[in-house]
Amino acid sequence: MDRRGTRRGLAALFLALAAGLAGCAGSTSTWRWGNYDDALHAHYRRPQDRATYVAALKEIILAAPREGKTVPPGIYAEYGYALLEEGNGAEAVGWFERERDTWPESRVFMEKMIVNARRTVPASQTPPAGPASALEKGRS
Amino acid sequence: MRRPATVALALAALVAGATGCATAPARGYEAFVAANPRSILIVPVANRSVDVEAPDYLLSTLPVPVAERGYYVFPVNAVKRVLEDDGLADPFLVHGADPVRLAGLFGADAVLYVTIDRWDAQYMVISTTVTVELDYVLKDGRTGDVLWRSHRVVQQTPSDGTGGGSGGSVLSALVGAAVSAAVTRASPNYMGLARQANAAVLAFPGPGFPAGPFRPEYRRDVAPGPGAKPER
Repeated sequence: MDRRGTRRGLAALFLALAAGLAGCAGSTSTWRWGNYDDALHAHYRRPQDRATYVAALKEIILAAPREGKTVPPGIYAEYGYALLEEGNGAEAVGWFERERDTWPESRVFMEKMIVNARRTVPASQTPPAGPASALEKGRS
Repeated sequence: MRRPATVALALAALVAGATGCATAPARGYEAFVAANPRSILIVPVANRSVDVEAPDYLLSTLPVPVAERGYYVFPVNAVKRVLEDDGLADPFLVHGADPVRLAGLFGADAVLYVTIDRWDAQYMVISTTVTVELDYVLKDGRTGDVLWRSHRVVQQTPSDGTGGGSGGSVLSALVGAAVSAAVTRASPNYMGLARQANAAVLAFPGPGFPAGPFRPEYRRDVAPGPGAKPER
Protein backbone atom coordinates (compact mmCIF):
# COMPACT_ATOMS: atom_id res chain seq x y z
CA MET A 1 0.00 0.00 0.00
CA ASP A 2 2.74 2.34 1.02
CA ARG A 3 4.78 1.53 -2.00
CA ARG A 4 1.86 1.93 -4.36
CA GLY A 5 1.04 5.30 -2.84
CA THR A 6 4.60 6.41 -3.24
CA ARG A 7 4.64 5.23 -6.80
CA ARG A 8 1.43 7.10 -7.55
CA GLY A 9 2.90 10.17 -5.94
CA LEU A 10 6.04 9.88 -8.01
CA ALA A 11 3.98 9.51 -11.17
CA ALA A 12 2.10 12.67 -10.24
CA LEU A 13 5.40 14.41 -9.68
CA PHE A 14 6.70 13.46 -13.10
CA LEU A 15 3.41 14.44 -14.73
CA ALA A 16 3.50 17.82 -13.04
CA LEU A 17 7.11 18.28 -14.06
CA ALA A 18 6.35 17.40 -17.67
CA ALA A 19 3.30 19.66 -17.73
CA GLY A 20 5.28 22.50 -16.24
CA LEU A 21 8.04 22.10 -18.78
CA ALA A 22 5.64 21.75 -21.71
CA GLY A 23 3.69 24.79 -20.58
CA CYS A 24 6.78 26.92 -20.72
CA ALA A 25 8.34 25.60 -23.89
CA GLY A 26 9.07 28.64 -25.96
CA SER A 27 10.10 26.64 -28.97
CA THR A 28 6.63 25.43 -29.89
CA SER A 29 5.68 27.23 -33.05
CA THR A 30 2.24 28.81 -33.07
CA TRP A 31 2.08 28.93 -36.84
CA ARG A 32 3.41 26.95 -39.75
CA TRP A 33 6.05 29.14 -41.38
CA GLY A 34 7.60 26.66 -43.80
CA ASN A 35 10.79 28.24 -45.10
CA TYR A 36 9.32 31.76 -45.23
CA ASP A 37 12.34 33.60 -43.78
CA ASP A 38 14.86 31.78 -45.97
CA ALA A 39 12.69 32.38 -49.05
CA LEU A 40 12.38 36.10 -48.27
CA HIS A 41 16.13 36.31 -47.67
CA ALA A 42 16.79 34.59 -51.01
CA HIS A 43 14.32 36.96 -52.67
CA TYR A 44 16.31 39.97 -51.42
CA ARG A 45 19.57 38.35 -52.53
CA ARG A 46 18.34 37.45 -56.01
CA PRO A 47 15.31 39.59 -56.88
CA GLN A 48 15.30 38.17 -60.42
CA ASP A 49 14.49 34.73 -59.03
CA ARG A 50 11.07 35.72 -57.72
CA ALA A 51 9.30 32.50 -58.75
CA THR A 52 10.97 30.63 -55.87
CA TYR A 53 9.77 33.21 -53.36
CA VAL A 54 6.20 33.19 -54.67
CA ALA A 55 6.19 29.38 -54.69
CA ALA A 56 7.35 29.33 -51.05
CA LEU A 57 4.44 31.59 -50.03
CA LYS A 58 1.99 29.41 -51.91
CA GLU A 59 3.44 26.30 -50.28
CA ILE A 60 2.76 27.74 -46.80
CA ILE A 61 -0.82 28.59 -47.74
CA LEU A 62 -1.48 25.11 -49.12
CA ALA A 63 0.41 23.06 -46.52
CA ALA A 64 -0.74 24.73 -43.30
CA PRO A 65 -4.42 23.61 -43.45
CA ARG A 66 -3.33 20.17 -44.66
CA GLU A 67 -1.28 19.79 -41.48
CA GLY A 68 -4.02 21.22 -39.29
CA LYS A 69 -2.02 24.39 -38.67
CA THR A 70 -2.75 28.05 -39.21
CA VAL A 71 -1.24 30.15 -41.97
CA PRO A 72 0.91 32.75 -40.17
CA PRO A 73 0.02 36.44 -40.05
CA GLY A 74 0.97 38.39 -43.16
CA ILE A 75 1.38 35.43 -45.52
CA TYR A 76 -1.89 35.83 -47.46
CA ALA A 77 -1.04 39.52 -47.82
CA GLU A 78 2.52 38.85 -49.01
CA TYR A 79 1.17 36.39 -51.56
CA GLY A 80 -1.45 38.89 -52.71
CA TYR A 81 1.21 41.57 -52.98
CA ALA A 82 3.42 39.30 -55.09
CA LEU A 83 0.48 38.71 -57.45
CA LEU A 84 -0.20 42.44 -57.60
CA GLU A 85 3.44 43.06 -58.54
CA GLU A 86 3.00 40.57 -61.36
CA GLY A 87 0.01 42.52 -62.66
CA ASN A 88 -2.60 40.10 -61.32
CA GLY A 89 -4.62 42.65 -59.35
CA ALA A 90 -7.85 40.70 -59.65
CA GLU A 91 -6.52 37.67 -57.81
CA ALA A 92 -4.54 39.84 -55.38
CA VAL A 93 -7.81 41.36 -54.13
CA GLY A 94 -8.99 37.92 -53.01
CA TRP A 95 -5.86 37.31 -50.93
CA PHE A 96 -5.97 40.76 -49.33
CA GLU A 97 -9.58 40.04 -48.37
CA ARG A 98 -8.52 36.73 -46.90
CA GLU A 99 -5.79 38.40 -44.80
CA ARG A 100 -8.33 40.97 -43.60
CA ASP A 101 -10.94 38.35 -42.71
CA THR A 102 -8.41 36.08 -40.97
CA TRP A 103 -6.64 38.86 -39.06
CA PRO A 104 -8.87 41.83 -38.16
CA GLU A 105 -5.64 43.58 -37.06
CA SER A 106 -4.76 43.97 -40.74
CA ARG A 107 -8.03 45.65 -41.77
CA VAL A 108 -6.80 49.23 -42.26
CA PHE A 109 -3.84 48.20 -44.39
CA MET A 110 -5.72 45.55 -46.35
CA GLU A 111 -8.62 47.89 -47.22
CA LYS A 112 -6.05 50.20 -48.80
CA MET A 113 -4.38 47.35 -50.66
CA ILE A 114 -7.76 46.15 -51.95
CA VAL A 115 -8.53 49.62 -53.33
CA ASN A 116 -5.07 49.76 -54.93
CA ALA A 117 -5.40 46.31 -56.45
CA ARG A 118 -8.93 46.98 -57.79
CA ARG A 119 -7.61 50.10 -59.49
CA THR A 120 -5.29 47.97 -61.59
CA VAL A 121 -8.16 45.82 -62.85
CA PRO A 122 -10.01 47.19 -65.91
CA ALA A 123 -13.72 47.59 -65.18
CA SER A 124 -14.65 45.34 -68.10
CA GLN A 125 -12.56 42.47 -66.77
CA THR A 126 -14.42 40.14 -64.47
CA PRO A 127 -12.16 38.77 -61.76
CA PRO A 128 -11.31 35.10 -62.16
CA ALA A 129 -12.61 32.61 -59.64
CA GLY A 130 -10.59 32.91 -56.46
CA PRO A 131 -8.52 30.05 -55.12
CA ALA A 132 -11.03 29.46 -52.34
CA SER A 133 -14.70 30.20 -51.88
CA ALA A 134 -13.96 32.30 -48.80
CA LEU A 135 -12.23 34.76 -51.09
CA GLU A 136 -15.52 35.62 -52.74
CA LYS A 137 -16.84 36.97 -49.48
CA GLY A 138 -17.60 40.66 -49.64
CA ARG A 139 -17.05 40.82 -53.37
CA SER A 140 -20.15 41.98 -55.25
CA MET B 1 -0.03 4.97 5.55
CA ARG B 2 -0.99 7.68 3.08
CA ARG B 3 1.89 9.87 4.09
CA PRO B 4 4.39 9.11 1.30
CA ALA B 5 1.73 9.79 -1.37
CA THR B 6 0.74 13.04 0.26
CA VAL B 7 4.32 14.16 0.53
CA ALA B 8 4.94 13.24 -3.09
CA LEU B 9 1.86 15.18 -4.19
CA ALA B 10 2.98 18.21 -2.26
CA LEU B 11 6.39 17.89 -3.86
CA ALA B 12 4.74 17.58 -7.27
CA ALA B 13 2.83 20.78 -6.73
CA LEU B 14 6.03 22.49 -5.65
CA VAL B 15 7.94 21.28 -8.68
CA ALA B 16 5.07 22.27 -10.97
CA GLY B 17 5.18 25.74 -9.49
CA ALA B 18 8.91 25.96 -9.98
CA THR B 19 8.98 24.71 -13.56
CA GLY B 20 5.79 26.39 -14.73
CA CYS B 21 6.06 29.60 -16.73
CA ALA B 22 7.69 32.14 -14.51
CA THR B 23 5.80 35.34 -14.09
CA ALA B 24 8.10 38.22 -14.82
CA PRO B 25 8.04 41.21 -12.55
CA ALA B 26 6.04 44.03 -14.10
CA ARG B 27 9.01 46.36 -13.64
CA GLY B 28 10.11 47.68 -17.00
CA TYR B 29 7.00 46.36 -18.73
CA GLU B 30 4.45 48.84 -17.35
CA ALA B 31 4.26 50.86 -20.57
CA PHE B 32 4.16 47.73 -22.71
CA VAL B 33 1.42 46.09 -20.66
CA ALA B 34 -0.58 49.33 -20.49
CA ALA B 35 -0.40 49.82 -24.26
CA ASN B 36 -1.43 46.18 -24.76
CA PRO B 37 -0.55 45.98 -28.49
CA ARG B 38 -2.04 43.25 -30.66
CA SER B 39 -0.28 44.13 -33.88
CA ILE B 40 3.30 45.14 -34.67
CA LEU B 41 4.48 46.95 -37.77
CA ILE B 42 8.10 46.03 -38.53
CA VAL B 43 9.44 48.85 -40.68
CA PRO B 44 12.49 48.55 -42.96
CA VAL B 45 15.80 48.27 -41.13
CA ALA B 46 18.06 51.32 -40.88
CA ASN B 47 21.72 50.69 -41.60
CA ARG B 48 24.78 52.26 -40.00
CA SER B 49 27.09 49.51 -41.23
CA VAL B 50 28.96 49.53 -44.53
CA ASP B 51 27.20 46.42 -45.84
CA VAL B 52 24.46 47.69 -48.17
CA GLU B 53 22.62 44.38 -48.28
CA ALA B 54 22.48 43.83 -44.53
CA PRO B 55 19.19 45.67 -43.82
CA ASP B 56 17.12 43.60 -46.24
CA TYR B 57 18.73 40.40 -45.02
CA LEU B 58 18.03 41.30 -41.42
CA LEU B 59 14.45 42.27 -42.23
CA SER B 60 13.80 38.73 -43.45
CA THR B 61 14.77 37.30 -40.03
CA LEU B 62 12.39 39.47 -38.00
CA PRO B 63 8.76 38.50 -38.70
CA VAL B 64 8.97 34.89 -37.47
CA PRO B 65 10.40 35.48 -33.98
CA VAL B 66 8.26 38.59 -33.38
CA ALA B 67 5.02 36.91 -34.50
CA GLU B 68 5.88 33.84 -32.45
CA ARG B 69 5.75 36.03 -29.34
CA GLY B 70 2.03 36.16 -30.09
CA TYR B 71 1.47 39.27 -32.16
CA TYR B 72 0.00 40.03 -35.55
CA VAL B 73 2.97 41.10 -37.68
CA PHE B 74 2.28 43.08 -40.83
CA PRO B 75 3.65 41.62 -44.09
CA VAL B 76 7.18 43.08 -44.01
CA ASN B 77 7.85 42.95 -47.74
CA ALA B 78 4.52 44.52 -48.74
CA VAL B 79 5.03 47.21 -46.08
CA LYS B 80 8.54 47.95 -47.37
CA ARG B 81 7.38 48.23 -51.00
CA VAL B 82 4.39 50.41 -50.14
CA LEU B 83 6.62 52.78 -48.16
CA GLU B 84 9.03 52.94 -51.10
CA ASP B 85 6.14 53.76 -53.44
CA ASP B 86 5.13 56.54 -51.06
CA GLY B 87 8.58 58.15 -51.24
CA LEU B 88 9.94 56.59 -48.05
CA ALA B 89 12.60 54.39 -49.64
CA ASP B 90 15.20 55.55 -47.10
CA PRO B 91 14.67 53.65 -43.83
CA PHE B 92 16.13 56.60 -41.88
CA LEU B 93 13.23 58.70 -43.21
CA VAL B 94 10.80 56.05 -41.98
CA HIS B 95 12.52 55.86 -38.58
CA GLY B 96 12.47 59.64 -38.31
CA ALA B 97 8.80 59.99 -39.27
CA ASP B 98 6.06 60.53 -36.71
CA PRO B 99 5.34 57.03 -35.31
CA VAL B 100 1.68 57.87 -34.71
CA ARG B 101 1.14 58.87 -38.33
CA LEU B 102 3.12 55.87 -39.55
CA ALA B 103 1.15 53.44 -37.38
CA GLY B 104 -2.07 55.13 -38.50
CA LEU B 105 -1.29 54.46 -42.17
CA PHE B 106 -1.30 50.73 -41.47
CA GLY B 107 -3.61 50.56 -38.48
CA ALA B 108 -0.79 49.20 -36.32
CA ASP B 109 -0.83 49.20 -32.51
CA ALA B 110 2.97 49.43 -32.28
CA VAL B 111 5.95 49.99 -34.55
CA LEU B 112 9.25 48.08 -34.31
CA TYR B 113 12.35 49.94 -35.47
CA VAL B 114 15.56 47.97 -35.90
CA THR B 115 18.90 49.62 -36.66
CA ILE B 116 22.12 47.86 -37.64
CA ASP B 117 25.07 49.44 -35.84
CA ARG B 118 27.62 46.87 -36.99
CA TRP B 119 27.59 44.06 -39.51
CA ASP B 120 31.17 43.26 -40.42
CA ALA B 121 33.98 40.79 -40.42
CA GLN B 122 37.47 41.66 -39.21
CA TYR B 123 39.95 39.58 -41.11
CA MET B 124 43.04 38.61 -39.17
CA VAL B 125 45.84 36.44 -40.39
CA ILE B 126 44.65 33.30 -38.70
CA SER B 127 41.07 33.98 -37.70
CA THR B 128 38.12 36.20 -38.47
CA THR B 129 35.75 37.88 -36.07
CA VAL B 130 32.24 38.44 -37.36
CA THR B 131 30.22 41.07 -35.50
CA VAL B 132 26.53 41.92 -35.66
CA GLU B 133 25.33 44.79 -33.45
CA LEU B 134 21.64 45.67 -33.48
CA ASP B 135 19.37 48.20 -31.82
CA TYR B 136 15.65 47.50 -31.34
CA VAL B 137 12.98 50.04 -30.36
CA LEU B 138 9.23 49.44 -30.07
CA LYS B 139 6.99 52.52 -30.08
CA ASP B 140 3.31 52.89 -29.23
CA GLY B 141 1.24 53.58 -32.34
CA ARG B 142 -1.17 55.85 -30.47
CA THR B 143 1.20 57.97 -28.40
CA GLY B 144 4.59 57.46 -30.04
CA ASP B 145 6.06 56.59 -26.63
CA VAL B 146 8.84 54.03 -26.41
CA LEU B 147 7.32 50.79 -25.06
CA TRP B 148 10.46 48.67 -25.10
CA ARG B 149 14.03 48.78 -26.32
CA SER B 150 16.98 46.47 -26.52
CA HIS B 151 20.51 46.42 -27.88
CA ARG B 152 22.54 43.38 -28.79
CA VAL B 153 26.07 42.61 -29.92
CA VAL B 154 26.76 39.11 -31.18
CA GLN B 155 30.27 38.07 -32.16
CA GLN B 156 31.71 34.94 -33.59
CA THR B 157 35.34 33.95 -33.86
CA PRO B 158 35.57 30.49 -35.35
CA SER B 159 38.01 28.33 -33.43
CA ASP B 160 40.76 26.79 -35.48
CA GLY B 161 39.39 23.34 -34.78
CA THR B 162 42.73 21.58 -34.71
CA GLY B 163 42.45 20.88 -31.02
CA GLY B 164 46.15 21.51 -30.38
CA GLY B 165 46.82 17.83 -29.74
CA SER B 166 50.39 16.67 -29.23
CA GLY B 167 50.38 15.13 -32.70
CA GLY B 168 49.58 18.36 -34.52
CA SER B 169 52.48 20.54 -35.55
CA VAL B 170 52.36 24.30 -35.30
CA LEU B 171 52.31 24.46 -39.06
CA SER B 172 49.25 22.26 -39.44
CA ALA B 173 47.49 24.29 -36.76
CA LEU B 174 48.26 27.44 -38.74
CA VAL B 175 47.07 25.87 -41.97
CA GLY B 176 43.87 24.76 -40.26
CA ALA B 177 43.27 28.26 -38.94
CA ALA B 178 44.00 29.80 -42.30
CA VAL B 179 41.49 27.49 -43.93
CA SER B 180 38.96 28.39 -41.24
CA ALA B 181 39.54 32.11 -41.84
CA ALA B 182 39.22 31.63 -45.59
CA VAL B 183 35.92 29.81 -45.19
CA THR B 184 34.60 32.58 -42.97
CA ARG B 185 35.83 35.17 -45.42
CA ALA B 186 33.91 33.50 -48.22
CA SER B 187 30.63 33.72 -46.33
CA PRO B 188 30.56 35.16 -42.83
CA ASN B 189 27.56 33.73 -41.05
CA TYR B 190 25.77 37.04 -40.55
CA MET B 191 22.32 35.50 -40.81
CA GLY B 192 23.06 33.00 -38.05
CA LEU B 193 24.31 35.81 -35.82
CA ALA B 194 21.31 38.00 -36.68
CA ARG B 195 18.96 35.16 -35.72
CA GLN B 196 20.89 34.68 -32.46
CA ALA B 197 20.56 38.38 -31.67
CA ASN B 198 16.81 38.34 -32.39
CA ALA B 199 16.28 35.25 -30.28
CA ALA B 200 18.24 36.76 -27.40
CA VAL B 201 16.42 40.10 -27.33
CA LEU B 202 12.97 38.54 -27.75
CA ALA B 203 13.46 35.77 -25.17
CA PHE B 204 11.04 35.96 -22.25
CA PRO B 205 11.35 36.17 -19.29
CA GLY B 206 14.26 38.40 -20.08
CA PRO B 207 14.54 41.40 -22.22
CA GLY B 208 11.87 40.24 -24.70
CA PHE B 209 8.21 41.02 -25.36
CA PRO B 210 5.65 39.62 -22.95
CA ALA B 211 3.32 37.12 -24.65
CA GLY B 212 0.89 38.68 -27.09
CA PRO B 213 -2.79 37.82 -27.63
CA PHE B 214 -1.98 34.84 -29.87
CA ARG B 215 -0.12 32.98 -27.13
CA PRO B 216 -1.81 30.93 -24.42
CA GLU B 217 0.14 32.62 -21.61
CA TYR B 218 -1.04 36.07 -22.76
CA ARG B 219 -1.53 38.30 -19.70
CA ARG B 220 -0.41 35.54 -17.37
CA ASP B 221 3.32 36.06 -17.75
CA VAL B 222 3.47 39.61 -16.44
CA ALA B 223 1.58 40.87 -13.44
CA PRO B 224 -0.73 43.50 -14.98
CA GLY B 225 -0.02 46.98 -13.71
CA PRO B 226 -2.70 49.33 -12.46
CA GLY B 227 -2.63 51.17 -15.77
CA ALA B 228 -3.54 48.10 -17.87
CA LYS B 229 -6.16 48.89 -20.44
CA PRO B 230 -8.88 46.51 -21.55
CA GLU B 231 -8.39 44.52 -24.71
CA ARG B 232 -9.09 46.43 -27.85
